[in-house]
Amino acid sequence: MTTLQLRNIVKRYKSQTVLDDLTLDVADGERLVLFGPSGAGKTVLLRLVAGVIEPDEGRVLIGGEDMTDVDAEHRGVGMAFQNFALFPHMSAFDNIASPLTATKSSKEKIAAGVQKVAKLLKIDHVLTHHPKALSNGQKQRTALARALVGSPPLLLLDDPLRNVDAKLRFEMRLELPRLLAAQGATVVYVTQDYKEAMALGDRIAVMAAGRIRQIGTPQEIYNAPADIEIGRLFGDPTINLLDVTPQRGGGDVFVELSNVRVRLADYGADVVGSPCVLGLRPEAISFVDAAAPGAIPVTVEAETPLNEKTVTLALTARGREILVSRPAGTPGPTAGPAHIAVNGMQAFLFDKTSGALLPRADLAAKRNGEAA
Amino acid sequence: MASTETLRRPVSGFRISRKMLPYVLSLPALLVCIGILIPFFTAVIYSFQRYRLSQPWARQFNWGENYLNFITDPAFWNTLKVSLLYAGLTVTLELLLGLGIALLLQRRSTVNNFISIMLLLPLMIAPALAALMWKLMTNPSFGILSYLASLIGLHDFRWASSPDTALLTVVLVDIWVYTPFIMILLLAGLRSLPTQPFEAAALDGVPRSFVFFRITLPMLTPYILTATLFRLLDSIQQFDIIYAMTQGGPGNTLTVFQVEAYLNFFQSTNVGRSAALLIILWAITYTLSNVFIKNWLRLRERARGEA
Amino acid sequence: MDTMSPLERVLRGLALTLVVVFFMFPIFWIFLMSFQTNETILAIPPSIVFSPTLSNYAALITGKLQTAAGTLDIAFMRNLGNSIFLSVASVAVALVLGVPAAYAFARHKFKGSEDIAFTLLSFRFAPPLLVLLPLTQYFQWLGLSNTYFGLIWVYQLICLPLILWIVRGYFEDISADVEYAYRIAGHSWFATFRKIALPLAGPGIAAAGLLAFIFAWNNFVFALVLASADKQPVTVGALAFVTSSGIQYGQIAAAIVLSVTPTLALALYAQRYLVEGLSLGAVKG
Repeated sequence: MTTLQLRNIVKRYKSQTVLDDLTLDVADGERLVLFGPSGAGKTVLLRLVAGVIEPDEGRVLIGGEDMTDVDAEHRGVGMAFQNFALFPHMSAFDNIASPLTATKSSKEKIAAGVQKVAKLLKIDHVLTHHPKALSNGQKQRTALARALVGSPPLLLLDDPLRNVDAKLRFEMRLELPRLLAAQGATVVYVTQDYKEAMALGDRIAVMAAGRIRQIGTPQEIYNAPADIEIGRLFGDPTINLLDVTPQRGGGDVFVELSNVRVRLADYGADVVGSPCVLGLRPEAISFVDAAAPGAIPVTVEAETPLNEKTVTLALTARGREILVSRPAGTPGPTAGPAHIAVNGMQAFLFDKTSGALLPRADLAAKRNGEAA
Repeated sequence: MASTETLRRPVSGFRISRKMLPYVLSLPALLVCIGILIPFFTAVIYSFQRYRLSQPWARQFNWGENYLNFITDPAFWNTLKVSLLYAGLTVTLELLLGLGIALLLQRRSTVNNFISIMLLLPLMIAPALAALMWKLMTNPSFGILSYLASLIGLHDFRWASSPDTALLTVVLVDIWVYTPFIMILLLAGLRSLPTQPFEAAALDGVPRSFVFFRITLPMLTPYILTATLFRLLDSIQQFDIIYAMTQGGPGNTLTVFQVEAYLNFFQSTNVGRSAALLIILWAITYTLSNVFIKNWLRLRERARGEA
Repeated sequence: MDTMSPLERVLRGLALTLVVVFFMFPIFWIFLMSFQTNETILAIPPSIVFSPTLSNYAALITGKLQTAAGTLDIAFMRNLGNSIFLSVASVAVALVLGVPAAYAFARHKFKGSEDIAFTLLSFRFAPPLLVLLPLTQYFQWLGLSNTYFGLIWVYQLICLPLILWIVRGYFEDISADVEYAYRIAGHSWFATFRKIALPLAGPGIAAAGLLAFIFAWNNFVFALVLASADKQPVTVGALAFVTSSGIQYGQIAAAIVLSVTPTLALALYAQRYLVEGLSLGAVKG
């Protein structure tokens, strides 16, 4: 186990800035997920840590030691590539053994090490095969085994599940956390899949355009996305986003949806009157009786059963689309008129122009107090 | 002593810094080539000198005189004319012939693939030896081609020994050697073309001539350009075939640039004129090769992209 | 495309036959000549029916020619040996120098790398005599004229650009990630070059080497300018051979056959790579 510190990293390709003054700390034994769209600079960042590309500015510290000018082979990290990057002219055994041969271990030690990790990843029966003869899943496990075999204190995983089929990805998503925990290494894991990020990360760093936009635990990011974009990236079905203008009435802040007031208890008076976007997770909305307080009339358009939940698309009176999610198996309307209620405690407001999450009242009040 | 030396050496052994590595790797190749670049500059200097090997004492700079003399020198204009004629004739004929053969062999079949490999053989024969082969075949007393010519009424056809047919003969040898080059490039180009436009045209019943001129040719253009420029660069510098066949003769019928420069240097020992001729040839090829390299790079990028 | 009329089929067949005859006949004819004596060669009309003789080859290999005027020594085998030595050594040197440089150009887009690569490529297109003629004088000063060392050096003009450009393409085709993976696994750049890059580019390096060999073998002008009789390869030697008196035509033909056989055999062996090599990687075969 070891720590990783990145200090003011800048990387440019020609005139394009790929990493823009990026600073990041990964704690000892932590699993940090780098999440973001393609082109965000995640892979570049990982390669920079591995030492196969150099930053234009900034320092890379591994275990507190400045490794910026140290060659890749002396950094002692393990890495799995998105495209596997297996050595096509070597057997799976030799592929996995490559980090051990570099240390000049004895033949027996190497064989034992390879066998152990191969068994763990269930590829011990294909060790004599060349990559060409391996299935995609086996290739992926071989690449993973190669990264794990030397028990590196820092493990870099570049979207290792990207190029495998859905079934395998599902299996591995369950298997990987256990595997990584057993390894005990500090892990930086790159992915574009929010479920993978939520399942694997102690913390998630959301990257876009060469910067870290938000960093926090999966819950923090899910429950308080720093801006609309991040809110949209996390969550399936995606978050409902509705243009609203908060108003004040009876000491409360509320927004009107189809002329029905939805109270936003968490927000203070500072948001009143400014154009906002209301973010509602589909699970923050539920179907209710017409008589229930705060019931909003809608028309149910379609229903999609997913594995563990049922998602319903409804239209408000003004024709705005709303996604509603409920646990699978619970009753709900399938078509026609219905009513929904919104849990105002789970709603968030974004500034319409900047897209940034607006601070909740308690925080805002605190800040106002400090300023006063 | 030796053992302490080894012990003291750093564990990592010698390490070349990351930035230096590419230079270190390419340096030996560069050094070898730089040794060859020096004569190039020497040649430039020679071309501005009055320099005859037979009169080394009279060697002096005469600046542009070698070049200025060319303007009134019929031998130079003959060299330029013959060189351009030779290059123009060979490249045009080889292009037409090569394209035709490539079209005949376009469809992938065992027979076609076999023929295309067989046709490559002339290209793999040294041009000087190819010239020798044709010399044997055009020998007036026993050459098979002279015999065949006599069968169609051309008695005493002199081939390369007559000023009237010498150019024709060497062009024929050049065609024999180099048409396969154009053929094989265009064949690779033809076979790499996407099939959809052709299938669509066939379905719509578009006439074949239209398909050829409006689809095949435009799509093949980059390949044709690359092959043509490649050949043009070689052809304007042709030496081996002409020298081996006729040594530039009879008379001065075939004194193309390099042959003329060679004869100037070794026979008339006029180094200055020889160098000036070569510099002019170099200027021509340099211009051509710049055009060529641009086009060739595009094609190369595309080939890498498809791989 | 599959709707060819019978007439078209016949015309195409006819055209192809003509093409094959034109390009194959000279090889075939010279091959036949090499097994003939002067009497059958000079016979009119020429005939392809004759009793073959190996005397031409025997004369070349023993180096002794029996003529009416007596015994004549011919150095053809020496020329053949020179060709083999010059080509093999030139290719070996070009590989040792060119492969690391090609790797540097493919992997590291360092400052000026493209310019250097193009300068090397431009040798391929410059008039060889431009360099050769002044070089004769330099070689005299350096004591390199008529030495194998000098010739092999000049042969780099042909071999090095060829190897550099073809092998560079093969190195570029190797995924950089594969090499990165080996570095990260703890191996030095040199180990990575040796264990990953070289084996993966192996077929390309072999093909480039074969092509460079063919080009070196077929070269004429370098040795014509720089080598005397004892260092001359077959291309120059065979030409001198023609003008020597008392020679038999069948022996010239046999010398040609012996001279072209190595390159033809290699070309057939490496034909898969020829297109790419001939176009310096611009067209994939």
